[in-house]
Amino acid sequence: MKPPNTNRRAGGETLTDEVLYRETFTIIGNDFEHGGEVATRIKGILKVLGLPADAIRRLSIANFEAEMNVIMYANEGSLELAVLPRAVRVTVSDRGQGIPDIEWAMQEGHSTATAEMRARGFGAGLGLPNIRRNSDEFSIESVVGTGTVLRYVVYANGTAGS
Amino acid sequence: MPYRTHAIVTDKDKCVGCVTCSMACPTKAIRVRNNLAQVDEELCIDCGTCMEVCRYEAIRPRTSSPTDLKKFKYTVALPSLTLYAQFGKEFHPGQVLHALRKMGFDETYDISWMCEMVMGATDAHLSESTGPWPKISVTCPALVRLVQIRYPDLIPNLVPIETPRELAAKLRRRRVAAERGLDQSEIGMFFITPCTAIIHSVVAPVGLEASHLDGAFAIADVYGPLLKSMKEDPGSDPVDTVSVRGLRWAMAGGEISGMRNANSMTVRGLHDIIYVFDRIESGTFQSVDFIEAYICADGCVGGGLTVAGRYTAQRNLQDAYRLLGDQTLVKEEKVRSLLRDHFFDFEAEIKARPVKPLARDLREAIALKREKDALMDRLPRKDCAACGAPDCETLADDIVRGKAQLSDCVFVRLEAFEKDSAARRGGDHGQ
Repeated sequence: MKPPNTNRRAGGETLTDEVLYRETFTIIGNDFEHGGEVATRIKGILKVLGLPADAIRRLSIANFEAEMNVIMYANEGSLELAVLPRAVRVTVSDRGQGIPDIEWAMQEGHSTATAEMRARGFGAGLGLPNIRRNSDEFSIESVVGTGTVLRYVVYANGTAGS
Repeated sequence: MPYRTHAIVTDKDKCVGCVTCSMACPTKAIRVRNNLAQVDEELCIDCGTCMEVCRYEAIRPRTSSPTDLKKFKYTVALPSLTLYAQFGKEFHPGQVLHALRKMGFDETYDISWMCEMVMGATDAHLSESTGPWPKISVTCPALVRLVQIRYPDLIPNLVPIETPRELAAKLRRRRVAAERGLDQSEIGMFFITPCTAIIHSVVAPVGLEASHLDGAFAIADVYGPLLKSMKEDPGSDPVDTVSVRGLRWAMAGGEISGMRNANSMTVRGLHDIIYVFDRIESGTFQSVDFIEAYICADGCVGGGLTVAGRYTAQRNLQDAYRLLGDQTLVKEEKVRSLLRDHFFDFEAEIKARPVKPLARDLREAIALKREKDALMDRLPRKDCAACGAPDCETLADDIVRGKAQLSDCVFVRLEAFEKDSAARRGGDHGQ
């Protein structure tokens, strides 16, 4: 049995929750060809585990955005899926350029996407706000030149963001 | 009774228990057990892939038989537009309708104008809808089943407008009943279908309590007799209802080609559908208004029960289009008034049929998931399907769901056998 995992909530309080299932996925920067595959695989896992459809839907949207963010802006990253008794927590850490102004990036329509990314249909500046909108807890930390750690939680019975 | 609600029947005498169909099935619905292909009703979308790949003709469509016509006082044949596309320039739709009627129907009823009506109704729906986007066409019944099973979250995206074939059957049955003083149940409406998925939609419709059609004949079964008949008798039935714009419905891209809203996409074939629909579920493509998607790569002309082949059929349709021009029959005001009367509406809710979780309890499901992952390490990952499941992962899933056992795997059995004989040999040396 793994020891209980301690982590920090967006609100600041500490929540101790047992991780029932954990799996880590690697995401490679600029790997547009496989973009979205991690989100799809996780969706399959959550379905066989029987999580509520609404939670899976919101997680799929958030995971896809987070995965594409790593592909577009970082050298490499990982997405950790942690299934908790009544929630799913996702932690996306990347090694990359980082975000200089998080507040600015969190606003809809703000994007540093290149013309190439926009040509592929990305970079509308909706990624991070969309992740926050579809999750019940959300936190982001970033160090310029080092990378970004994004953490979000979707409650397995909640309806927020829907 | 095997799979009464599905459009596909397995012939026990002909099935040799090879695994070709199981491996080809896009929803992994087939298991081969005791040398017989068995279809999981819940997973089957009636796409007909198994039937197409079977080399032993062991999988057949559940089509109507000529004796079914005798159950009715008056019979109507409604050909799929793909039927017209089977024949080249030398035979026009009027001749096809004439020859079809002579095969034993009291009348034939063209549905191309109804296709054009539905294009208009879809346009109106798109302009009034508030989302969710993109809206998805319900033309392909196999796609609708796939959405129910694999993309239940996208059910609200389906355009709630009944298909042209059902609407045409509904309308014509009413009129025939009124004109001839018959009870509606005395009239038999039969579709001439390009695919098995439509047969299924007649037996077990989605979005309707009961289909307005009474049965379906395969294009492949009427093709030969029709060709012979048209060569012998050049007669033609009236074609004043044939909408050239509507005809395009038979091809992927045809539905949107007749619509005013151009912010749309055509998705062709199951592989591409999975690629696009996975992304729609993740929230991409929200800027697209309308998606038409067909399990068959080029739309209905690629159906498994056709003869001409999808390239020839498309060429034939293009020829007709060039010859006749972009004729339209439908008045926008007529469409709007029928919309107000709810003529196009679904009659029943489309229900989700999502994948069953491994267990109801989360902890139990996780334990089974781990068990499945551990099984994957023991399986050879050769995806040989000799166990009867299409690949190792599906076998592992079946095992944890209690539907199969590890010893079904020939590699696992071989390994056990080798270990056993090695141990025995070791024993001999020891003596």
